[in-house]
Amino acid sequence: MSDKEQSDSSHSLDFSTVIASTVHDMKNSLAMLMQAYEKWSVELPPELNKPAERGMIEYESLRLNGMLVQMLGLYKLGVNQLPMRPNWIEVEDFLQEQLARHDEILQSRDIIGTYEVEEDGLMAFLDTELVGSVVSNVINNSIRYAQSAIHLKAWSEDDQLVIAIGDDGQGYPPSMIEHQSDYVLGINMSTGSTGLGLYFGQRIAELHQRNGVQGRIELRNDSTLGGGEFRIYLP
Amino acid sequence: MIDYSKKRFLVVDDFSEFRTSVTGMLRLMAIKDVDSAARGEDAIAMCRNTAYDVILHDYNLGAGKNGQQVLEELHHAKLISPHCIFVMCTAESSQAMVMSALECEPDAYLTKPFNRASLQQRLDKLVERKLALKPILDALTRHDQKAVLAACGQIMEDNKRFVPQCQRYKAGALKALGKHAELESMLAELIADRPMPWALVLLGNHWLDRGELDKAEELFTSAISQFPMLPALFDGLAAVHAARGATDKAQDYLEQGLRISPHSLQRQHELGKMAKANGDYDKAVRAFRQAVDLGRNSQFRNPENHLQLASSLTEQTGDASPGSKVLLEIRQTLGDLSKTWKDDQALAVRAHLVHAGALAKSGDQTAADKLIAEASTKMADLPTFFSANTALEIAAQLQKLGHADKAEDILATCAEMYGDDKKIMDAIAGQTSNPAILNACVQVQGLNSKGIRSYQQKQFPQALELFRQARELQPRNISIALNTAQSLLRLLLIEPATELQTECQECLTQVSNIPSTDHRYARYEKLCATVAGL
Repeated sequence: MSDKEQSDSSHSLDFSTVIASTVHDMKNSLAMLMQAYEKWSVELPPELNKPAERGMIEYESLRLNGMLVQMLGLYKLGVNQLPMRPNWIEVEDFLQEQLARHDEILQSRDIIGTYEVEEDGLMAFLDTELVGSVVSNVINNSIRYAQSAIHLKAWSEDDQLVIAIGDDGQGYPPSMIEHQSDYVLGINMSTGSTGLGLYFGQRIAELHQRNGVQGRIELRNDSTLGGGEFRIYLP
Repeated sequence: MIDYSKKRFLVVDDFSEFRTSVTGMLRLMAIKDVDSAARGEDAIAMCRNTAYDVILHDYNLGAGKNGQQVLEELHHAKLISPHCIFVMCTAESSQAMVMSALECEPDAYLTKPFNRASLQQRLDKLVERKLALKPILDALTRHDQKAVLAACGQIMEDNKRFVPQCQRYKAGALKALGKHAELESMLAELIADRPMPWALVLLGNHWLDRGELDKAEELFTSAISQFPMLPALFDGLAAVHAARGATDKAQDYLEQGLRISPHSLQRQHELGKMAKANGDYDKAVRAFRQAVDLGRNSQFRNPENHLQLASSLTEQTGDASPGSKVLLEIRQTLGDLSKTWKDDQALAVRAHLVHAGALAKSGDQTAADKLIAEASTKMADLPTFFSANTALEIAAQLQKLGHADKAEDILATCAEMYGDDKKIMDAIAGQTSNPAILNACVQVQGLNSKGIRSYQQKQFPQALELFRQARELQPRNISIALNTAQSLLRLLLIEPATELQTECQECLTQVSNIPSTDHRYARYEKLCATVAGL
């Protein structure tokens, strides 16, 4: 390596840090954009209010937001700065909160969002912020493929909390189900955001561990609604 | 359905669009009473006049205080009741959580952007929770910790959903009541089940308070491997090392905590102190500067930061004399100090001496001497003497400035008032070898311990005689004066006598300059009350 190259590399920016701080600003920007949009759309005369476009704007901005959150999360995981703040929570609250976040989009797309918790008053120990961002991204994704319904379900299995997000769409492509461990390990990223989403979900799940058992995710095609199902297991 | 129509809301955000949009959402929930503010400072002012039921506060307000700082100020000034719901709105909650102090957390975080359904869902749950916890919150408002414990027990039994919240309140109450054993076993049990960050920090600090440094270190270290972004754990480790006298390690951990969360005034203050003790004046200056900045317009401001900044700046130049830029910053810092705490004469004395130190080092001995003379005059008029540590600091400054006689006077008073504390006597011996100061104490201590022995054997007249002899040697010795007064009171309770009562009164008047921070202050007040009641 020549001297010149060496000096160049020592002066180069750490690109991941640049991206992280830019993403942070983008997130703020997007939040402002959405607020302005909301304010403006309320004042719009009814004849100009096109539900299809509205739905598109709302859905895509939520998706964009989810991707940005995920990107920041991945960056922080990489530099070991992802704060973990687990807490005891009531699972029902958590599921309600996830559906409420997507309330308008579900309505505008005529998709019915439901949830059920197997045991009344089920409590769980998890980081709501982190798991919430994973679940929210999965719901976003399900909304795209669902025909008329998505369903959240939570139960306790072998001392672990399981949260399942299912829809009545066509389900995951068989190859994706078959090679899910590759996605989870971050080996196969060819499907872009979906693959990255699975990787992120797995990393967040793994941060939850107890007595040597690590959290994990799982893809299936046997949702009670007939379509695909995403499961996150948290010990 | 929860009726929100009677609830008072405050929305704080620097963007008017956000305030309008949230206010709009709240109106749809039939809420009529919504105030809004753009700055945290305004929010604090509004809370002085109105007891809000719910505060929706943005975390990052641009310039000025952030949401966490506002919340801490509101708590400190008791402008927020335990019943109030404080929701922190943020673009990125994890960041805000890292900055929050565990003992002062918001009731919930709400990530922007959020819609009406999310807001309502969250508020419904919070209102429901506060209602269920009402007996605890009522007891907290009355500062009745025993009632807090009782209420926690009841609610935990009745409703398992609120057990996690109750555990936290319970731990707080056990700590406040000094039930150490119970607190320890409760926390250990909770942690064995799940590593809850708040419980880890509380247990670590509990061991720290009890002097179990090894246990505390082990806990903090293992907790950091699980929660590397929890600054309170680094503070804990720093305190462990500081307690062992390993100030370099303590400084290192404080710096790690500050890298995660730089806006903590207390942490900057601690770092400044530690760096100064380590002779790392660059870092001390930086930390105290930050602490002074963070304390501006804050109830947490602390004059020590100003004084320490000025003296660290003087030290920072090493053997060189401080230049005009340094002297300017010192002047400004101390000017700020005297403006902010203008009625505190003891602080003025200390500021003068620190300033004199800087001027003397810059070669302006005339100006320095003038300030020292002023400080001496002020000192003579002080109604109360300094705390032991401040007195030691002042003596060291005077010594350095070439006023050994004045330094000895301070040390003599310090020895007289606080000389029964061995650590302080050792520190005094480190600054002077004057036998008049050091030996007087030895003699007095001998008489005092004999007196205490007689008192314990209920030989009150003998005890009084010994204390009187000691008092003759050191009339300003707080312990001796209090012991004499107490012996006199004993005799007075058996048989009233006017001259004994007068003598008792004199003893107490003699030490009326005892600082309220002194550990004997409570005893002094109690004796005063007893005499007044005779």
